Amino acid sequence: MNKIWIIAKNTYKQRIRSSTFLLITFGLPLVMVVAGAIPIITELRGELPDIGYVDETGQMVELDAVEVEGETLSLAAYRTRETAESDLKSGEIAGALIFPEDYFKGGTPLYLAAEEPNEKLKDGLSKMVRKGMFADSPSWQVDRWEEKANFTYLAVETGKSISEGPAVFLRVGIPIFLAFVFVLAIFTGANQMGSVVVMEKEERAMEMVITSISPRELISGKVFGMTLLSSTQVSIWILAASSAVFLFFRDDLIGKSIAMPWEAMIWAVLLCVPGYFLFALIGAGLGIIAGDMEQARQLSGMLGFIGMGPMYLMGVVVNAVDGPLAVGLTLFPFTAPTLSLFRMALTDVPTWQLAASFLILILCLLGSIWFVARIFRVTMLLYGQKLTLKQILQALSASGGMELKAVKEQNV
Amino acid sequence: MTGNDYMLEVNNLRKQFGEVEAVKNVSFSVKKGEIFGLLGPNGAGKTTTIRAALDIIKPTSGEISVLGGPMTEAKKSRIGYLPEERGLYEDMTLIDTLIYLGQLKGLDRNTVRKRAEKYLKEVELWEVRERKIQALSRGMNQKAQFVAGTMHEPELIIIDEPFSGLDPVNTRIIKNLLFRMRDQGAAIIMSTHQMVQVEEMCSRILLINRGEGVLYGYLSEIRDRFASNAVEVDLTGELDQMVGVDQITSRNGGYRLVLADGVRPETILQRLVTNPDIVVKRFEQNEVSLDEIFVKVVSGDQKPDEQETAV
Repeated sequence: MNKIWIIAKNTYKQRIRSSTFLLITFGLPLVMVVAGAIPIITELRGELPDIGYVDETGQMVELDAVEVEGETLSLAAYRTRETAESDLKSGEIAGALIFPEDYFKGGTPLYLAAEEPNEKLKDGLSKMVRKGMFADSPSWQVDRWEEKANFTYLAVETGKSISEGPAVFLRVGIPIFLAFVFVLAIFTGANQMGSVVVMEKEERAMEMVITSISPRELISGKVFGMTLLSSTQVSIWILAASSAVFLFFRDDLIGKSIAMPWEAMIWAVLLCVPGYFLFALIGAGLGIIAGDMEQARQLSGMLGFIGMGPMYLMGVVVNAVDGPLAVGLTLFPFTAPTLSLFRMALTDVPTWQLAASFLILILCLLGSIWFVARIFRVTMLLYGQKLTLKQILQALSASGGMELKAVKEQNV
Repeated sequence: MTGNDYMLEVNNLRKQFGEVEAVKNVSFSVKKGEIFGLLGPNGAGKTTTIRAALDIIKPTSGEISVLGGPMTEAKKSRIGYLPEERGLYEDMTLIDTLIYLGQLKGLDRNTVRKRAEKYLKEVELWEVRERKIQALSRGMNQKAQFVAGTMHEPELIIIDEPFSGLDPVNTRIIKNLLFRMRDQGAAIIMSTHQMVQVEEMCSRILLINRGEGVLYGYLSEIRDRFASNAVEVDLTGELDQMVGVDQITSRNGGYRLVLADGVRPETILQRLVTNPDIVVKRFEQNEVSLDEIFVKVVSGDQKPDEQETAV
């Protein structure tokens, strides 16, 4: 174990200093934050243009302005739709809100403008409706309407309450977020195992190293090292995401008890940890099979494609979240972690399915340990050669450490 | 010599890759405190023999005893290996590489630091310890690999072409280190094509050709066995024929005399010095070099069964 730890530590140390790791770890959340923030900033910074309105109901109190988030939305009343449209065309006003005659019988107000209103303007228009149309109502009613309607949902079977707001966001968001994090970790960590193994072979240090440790210790050390690296990366992402969620919902979170989706989080650990190891080991196996770095990257790309599989199938799965495809992919070891988490966000996944998925994953993991150790033991001294299917089968079926003929041909 | 003095014993080693028999019934042993030469042409089976001895590949049949018994994971820390296919981690600094590889050999961090300092100073690499491996010259790299493979002071050292890429000064540094390790009791197996180094350093050798051990034993005995019954002389005067000499050939301004069976060189010397027409300037028994023996055996001048030499 000590030697595995030495290899893991060295792998971790070498990789964590690489510019690729730093770029992905800190760059990716930054890109996501910036991408997410741009529309919000645009909306917040949106200006409030002058608006005209036409009250065809004759019930509205005349308003010349309303306050929106500390800013003033100037309003101009028009008697007819034509005059409002005329001023709109000439640029006097940026938009015209028409209250149809049948507004109180279900008619829909019409907003005429060249551009879609931003969020701030939409708030202003809503406020204008409440103030103008329901001016006769008591002020407390108007104030109440201005607040968002908050509901409490109570599950009949369990009696557990689920409040709207952060709890719902967390119940749905956490499993989906963890699924995305898992896929990213596969891409940036486990998927790199092939390159790690090829590099070890290409640097010709292999033969010296394996007279210090066993091939199994070497592969285990590399896998643990990459796992540590991914854990660091995932921790940074989770910390960043948690901070963002806290800042966004701080008023709803401080001093309140929020029901966390603990069950989903426990299943996430149970499925994602062996799932990660499975991808890492298969990645290592592909690195062994690949002759050089380019081939390793190509094969790793295929593995990444499998890891991304559930993302492509999201549309189908959402439409039939408990359908046979969804269940099948929950049990399939390479899609199990991601798909189980997606489904847990949308429905109550039966425990037997999750348990079966976990067991299948563990069995596959044990099989892949055997596969990778076997193939590595036999082919570790092949440099710059891609293994053929025949050679792989030969390596797997060979008894008692029979080495490939290619090793002999390469170096006697 | 007791069994415990043998650091490596190989008996009837056979290794088959598919239908190719790379090593055929090779046997040899290496003692404590000796430098043993493992020789052979390219593709003869040396590397396969070494890899089988180190448990990197499994033999098809035969027995291998390393440090007094079968190879175990624990014994790996008592073995040093510098393979033919070698390299170090290009992106790591020299000192970090040595610390990493030293720890894998079971040394703790403090010891490995001290040893790294000691050996790097000896091979004159201490000043470049913080340099990345990729920035080292070929000779530096070679010395760094030597340190990586031996700084844990193993009891059994196996080195493949230890002097390739080294200038005479650095060759001398490595040679002296190997002599010191031998004197401290290590058994050293050296695989090389540099016969001059083997002649200087090795007490015993095994020559493998086409997977078979064709010459095995003390170097001096093998030399005696291959020594031709001939002498080289430089003299003034003419030498056409002589009693007791089968063949006279002119060579580098002198003569090479092949003596008849049963004729001793001393007899010929006496006849030469008593000949008034001749003045002898140099008289030397014609010794065969290891290089010549190697070429002779490998090119098939003599069959293996004629060359067996008992240890």
